[in-house]
Amino acid sequence: MTVYGLLVDYEWCTGCQSCEVSCKEEHGYPVGKWGIRVLEDGPWEIDDTQANWNKIPVPSDLCDLCANRTAQGRQPICVHHCLADVLQYGPVEELVKRFEEKPKQALFVPQFKPKEARGAFVSKNRAAGKVASFAAVAVEANTDFDIAGHRRPDEEVEADMAVSVILTDSIKTRSEDE
Amino acid sequence: MNYVNGRQATSLGETNDLGKPWRYKDGDLTVTRSCPWSPPGCHPVGCGLKLYVDKEGTLVKVEGDENQPITGGRLCVRCITLKDYVYNPSRIIHPQKRDPQFRGQADKWEQITWDEAFDLMVSEVTKVKEKYGPESIVLFTGTGREGGTMKPMGAAVFGTPNYCYTQSGYACYAPRLAGTSYVMGAPDPEIDYAAAFKNRYDEEGYVLSECVILWGKDPLPSNPDGLFGHALIDMMKRGTRLITVDPRLTWLATKADYALRLRPGTDTALAMAMLHVIISEDLYDHDFIEYWTYGFEELAERVATMPPEKAAEITGVPVEDIYGAARMYARAAPAGIAWGLAVDQNPNGSQLGHCILDLMAVTGNIDVPGGQIIGGAGEGQQETGFGWSAMPTETADKMIGLKEFPAYCNAILDAHADMVLETLETEKPYPLRFGYYAGNNLLAATCAAQPKRWHDAMLKSLDYCVTLDCFMTPSAQATCDLFLPLAASPEREGTVANHYGATPTFLGITNKAIDFGEGKSDTEFCYELGKRLNPKVWSKYEDVYAYIKALRFGNKKDFATARKEVGWQREIEYHKFETGKCRQDGKLGFNTPTGRFEFYSTLFQSFGDDPLPYYLEPPYSPQKTPELLEKYPLVLTTGARTYAFFHSENRQIPFCRELNPDPLVEINPALAHRLGIADGQWVRIWNQFGSCKMKAKLTIAVDERTLMAQHGWWFPEADPDKTNPEGEYNVWLANINELVPHFHVGKMGWGAPFKCLLANIEPLNENYDTDMQEIWEKFGKLVR
Repeated sequence: MTVYGLLVDYEWCTGCQSCEVSCKEEHGYPVGKWGIRVLEDGPWEIDDTQANWNKIPVPSDLCDLCANRTAQGRQPICVHHCLADVLQYGPVEELVKRFEEKPKQALFVPQFKPKEARGAFVSKNRAAGKVASFAAVAVEANTDFDIAGHRRPDEEVEADMAVSVILTDSIKTRSEDE
Repeated sequence: MNYVNGRQATSLGETNDLGKPWRYKDGDLTVTRSCPWSPPGCHPVGCGLKLYVDKEGTLVKVEGDENQPITGGRLCVRCITLKDYVYNPSRIIHPQKRDPQFRGQADKWEQITWDEAFDLMVSEVTKVKEKYGPESIVLFTGTGREGGTMKPMGAAVFGTPNYCYTQSGYACYAPRLAGTSYVMGAPDPEIDYAAAFKNRYDEEGYVLSECVILWGKDPLPSNPDGLFGHALIDMMKRGTRLITVDPRLTWLATKADYALRLRPGTDTALAMAMLHVIISEDLYDHDFIEYWTYGFEELAERVATMPPEKAAEITGVPVEDIYGAARMYARAAPAGIAWGLAVDQNPNGSQLGHCILDLMAVTGNIDVPGGQIIGGAGEGQQETGFGWSAMPTETADKMIGLKEFPAYCNAILDAHADMVLETLETEKPYPLRFGYYAGNNLLAATCAAQPKRWHDAMLKSLDYCVTLDCFMTPSAQATCDLFLPLAASPEREGTVANHYGATPTFLGITNKAIDFGEGKSDTEFCYELGKRLNPKVWSKYEDVYAYIKALRFGNKKDFATARKEVGWQREIEYHKFETGKCRQDGKLGFNTPTGRFEFYSTLFQSFGDDPLPYYLEPPYSPQKTPELLEKYPLVLTTGARTYAFFHSENRQIPFCRELNPDPLVEINPALAHRLGIADGQWVRIWNQFGSCKMKAKLTIAVDERTLMAQHGWWFPEADPDKTNPEGEYNVWLANINELVPHFHVGKMGWGAPFKCLLANIEPLNENYDTDMQEIWEKFGKLVR
């Protein structure tokens, strides 16, 4: 199946927020909900002569890449309205080629409502009968149980601790193939 | 996809350091591989580090070690900035003393030699012992530092039984450990993130957890109890699904199938209701319950008193989510529960812990692949008892709280925190005259309720007080007379067992890479002071390595050998209770009086508590004390973790501080709007016990009835002197523990309401914003 995505040329994103608002209008998302957001880093000074200020549109978990519009061969509404014309929609296979054209680009493949996409939990192991089983054995009571068992001479404590310091496996580094 | 040490092989690149020895050359630099722990304090994960040192012996670079089998080279900001900690201009690297009459006066310290420092220690200790007896010495231990695990320092060095973790109700980890010991005879049931296996998640015989419940635990920022938090992400990428139990909408909660956002402190009601759903809908493991457990009928009867409808009313969690989450957890095979600090920070926590253990047991998830891993007989708390027998029984029996709270004091060999504060205040049953901080900064809203009371009581009662630390803390500035320099982790040798050694899957070696200053490690100081104060006991160790060998390796391994291995995984066994490996006597079953997992706890009963779980409202809550709501209408929870800090540490590390410059209180935007509080505005938070100031962060992570306030704040850049109206280093400015009451603990002495209180909040006109340029000027110019 062809995977579609959104390519952002954030060198030229001006933060006009037309993507955000057109998305709300298109999807009927109310105040407080968004299909795409312009995140902002800056301004902060790189040195005396230049400052960093990037605005980066990022699709949210409510972005469906305008499934209704693209089904009709139209572009997603954010792409359509982007004032700086920095958004491109298309098959990921084609969009990635455009990375070589210039720096400061990012590619997003959004997931609409991931929790719904995942579906309700179903235990695969239980369905396959892979469940831990336990022996049917009569357990005897602990006759000399001692709650303050650690208040003992150091020699005994040391002997016990040796059990917990397993000396066998030092880290054996593995090759990447393993 | 290929994986190396838990992560994608492609994350490492063609050039990497897999397979390198413990020390090697990289160009002009010498690289030492190490699993550093303490200081800086942190939970013991044993993360792998490569420490790059130049010809002059200066640590110039720190990188994650891709050879570490659990972390695979990944690191958090607190070790990435290790160089900035070691060479921080505010670091103290020589011993210094101050006349006790000048406590709190920052300009009265004078540098001395270690010889003078040891002489002072010996003369002050001897003086106090002769006049008041050894029990008048008290150790104030903190958390996440080696000092807090150096138990022999109390009994075998000072000869006192009063080793005391200072947090009210020992509200951190030990209540969970103790509860697990009582109920199933093992120290801690950790989730199974395949940390024991060479091939990690791909190991044959390992089964990935289908579901993990994070119960009062947000493991990502802090690696709580030594669980590598981002292992959860590794698991979720492979298909593990999540249930979160947390009042806050954490980042992980937004990825969960069920985010159970309960009212703080009501967890036990939720856990009982989930047990009721699983039992009444017959979703439990019949064989495990019939043959390996005790008291199931009684449990079923008890939890039937907490149907989900009632729990929904108490907790505020929608009833359908209680049913849904219980069913999801019970049907998943296998499933794990990672329980967190919220279990301890609640006077009803022993019952909550019992319920969570019961959930693991009824679903047959104990000691199975992908369920809960547990230690076998002879594992876990042994180091706790090390050196204890060096002390005469009659002295040991004078431990503060031993008679009143045997469940607490005997389990962890610690004096009861709340009773120690009262003893400092009243000098009853005897005075405490000499104090020693073992990795603690208790005045800075970390591990003490009512820190001003501790402050006043310590000043009043202690003739002499000593700390061993890397930085001058407000606690040491206010109360100490001798400051001893502590070696940072690249300057010392030692060991680190993950999960605090309770259910270890990895033992790491802290290797020394540099010499800087005169710092000694907690282990070294313990050994050297022991030789001077109690030579009879300590002469059996010819050097500090002999002591490490006995304390950490059960005399089975030399440090000289261990250091070259840098660390090793510990292969674990499952189903040990079916092979006799869980009991001291070698018989089948669990190490409990009945030999079974006890739904009906005979030990809870023997300690005077109910053998079955029950629900208690927090001591101050909308339901328990509605009369207080007019004055304190909001529920206050504290202590959510950040990546930037471990408790009160790292505030002087500019790159950490920059991530979280100011103390934050989270407030819901709707509530903030009603109260006229703007995002970023400073506010006053107060209740009947105390008051502090913080900066408002508006977020829907908390609901409209709840505030979440950060803990651990002090300001290393501020005026260090006691004449500062906000206290040494502004320690009282944002001190949320002032709002936490003294001595509201559970019946067995465990647990305190650090996370479930009432409070009020109002906007302030003043602005206390941190100036990051000032932090950079003061702490950014490293001294080497």
